[in-house]
Amino acid sequence: MDDRMSETLEQAAAFQKLWLDSFGGVAKVWSQYSTDGPPPDEMRKARNGMLKALAGAWDEFMRTPQFMEMMKVSLNGALDLRRMARDGMNKIHEGFETPTKEDLDSILLAIRHIERRVLDRLEGMDDRVRKITERLEKPDERGGKPDGVGAAGAGELDERIRQIERRIGKIDGGIGKLGERIEELINRPPVASVSSEGAPGKRKASIK
Amino acid sequence: MSTTTDVKEKTGFFGNWEAWQTSFLDEGFTNLRRMAALPLLAEKMERVRKGVTPREIVYEEDRLKLYRYIGQGEKKHKTPLCFVFALVNRPYIFDLKEGRSVLAHFVNAGFDTYLVDWGTPTRAERYLTTDDYVNGYLHNVINFLRERTGEPQVSLLGYCMGGTLSTIYTALHQERVRNLILLAAGIDFATRDGLINLWTDPRYFDVDKFVDTMGNIPADFLQNAFLMLKPIANLIEKPINLLENLHKEEFVEDYLYMETWLNDNIPVPGEVYREFAKYLFQQNLLTRNRLPVGRHTVDLRKITCPLLNLMAKNDDLVPCAQTEPLNDLVSSTDKEKIIWPAGHIGLAVSGKAQKELWPRATEWLAKRSQ
Repeated sequence: MDDRMSETLEQAAAFQKLWLDSFGGVAKVWSQYSTDGPPPDEMRKARNGMLKALAGAWDEFMRTPQFMEMMKVSLNGALDLRRMARDGMNKIHEGFETPTKEDLDSILLAIRHIERRVLDRLEGMDDRVRKITERLEKPDERGGKPDGVGAAGAGELDERIRQIERRIGKIDGGIGKLGERIEELINRPPVASVSSEGAPGKRKASIK
Repeated sequence: MSTTTDVKEKTGFFGNWEAWQTSFLDEGFTNLRRMAALPLLAEKMERVRKGVTPREIVYEEDRLKLYRYIGQGEKKHKTPLCFVFALVNRPYIFDLKEGRSVLAHFVNAGFDTYLVDWGTPTRAERYLTTDDYVNGYLHNVINFLRERTGEPQVSLLGYCMGGTLSTIYTALHQERVRNLILLAAGIDFATRDGLINLWTDPRYFDVDKFVDTMGNIPADFLQNAFLMLKPIANLIEKPINLLENLHKEEFVEDYLYMETWLNDNIPVPGEVYREFAKYLFQQNLLTRNRLPVGRHTVDLRKITCPLLNLMAKNDDLVPCAQTEPLNDLVSSTDKEKIIWPAGHIGLAVSGKAQKELWPRATEWLAKRSQ
């Protein structure tokens, strides 16, 4: 017996156990049905007991490796089907020279990479500015230089901070232009029905 | 007077025929009342509100909105409190309805209360990562609150995945967080108590293939996964309960509010899902202090602020075993945990939690806020 066959049999056995446990549990609860109490209460008690037995059996089943294997196979099958359908659609789009979902995704990914690089650089600059500020705020730790020298150093640092801020401004402007160009690219007809609103990298905050 | 034995002898298998007849009549009349209530169901559904406490938008960034809740009383605490919810559902569970609002407890106790609404991601957001949410959006929100209130620190209250995000944020920016309150927050994913933990096992779930194919994780997929955690309760027991109580005004109202929220799922950005599934569910990196978030690595030992860790005893989504270990992993000396007899949602909105748990949590925070 090959592995595939034994796997199938194990799954069938797990499924059989689920139904046996379910029916066994339901039958057990029903056998405890009493005619002593008021009928609606007894019926409700029996129903709750039966549902509890079913829930227990299903919970146990959903924890078995066999169930998870079945889940994996069905999920992978659905994903493969979706990929096949998408590949077919891509070919049609290519034929008509219209952008595919993958084209749009690759644009989004490119924007993400640019944004990530810019943000990393900004974060690096932010760290440097913070360190400079910390050094400025602790003049005593700079080797006890006279006040005049400290002030000159601070002036120099101020100038460097201004330079950094100017560079940040330029980068920000560059991102804005890049965003506009990408939006133009996406909106250029013919285009797929995808909104470019809120693309990453176009993060603008408004305070009310 | 007849005894039980007499009844059985007199009536056989079906018990007391008289009692059966009476109950048939009672049920018949109740069924008529249920039928009469049925046409009103759609109208009641339309009346369901998504959030009840008055609020205003104070900050917006991309799809994110930050709400400030407007209380009627005076502000008693300077330290602002910020609610952070998961990326999976909408955050109005914090403010479900009158008498079932977690937010209202804090607003009425004089806290300057805010709520982060992440918004609904589109395909354009599929490449957003946990880093973007924690060190981007949440960090900007906290900085905005610091500027707005003039307070150097903010208290965070995170629920479910929002609790995990709040914990990560606190570990990375401890100096900005004064107090941390968590509700059913997933921290230690080594436990196999929850079905989700089992189903995401790398042997059975190829997260890369899933995210690469799907992009953003569809709301329907998440909703069905949650339903399957308790299929009998969700698909059989719940509708029966509704039918049985259709004539009870309060039951139906609670049911509709809850179902509206439960079915109001939103997609999760693909990369965030990939990171959560891979780094947390499959590799459990958070408890090992090795979770990468952008350029940073999360070290839970860096959390030193007061911590209130709330968890639900009957939580099938985030079992206690997934939340409880946090108190031993942080460096805080002021830490408390409460295991509440409720489910994942009941922890926030159940009648008992509203009466007992939330006044207690409010008092805890009041003692630790400026």
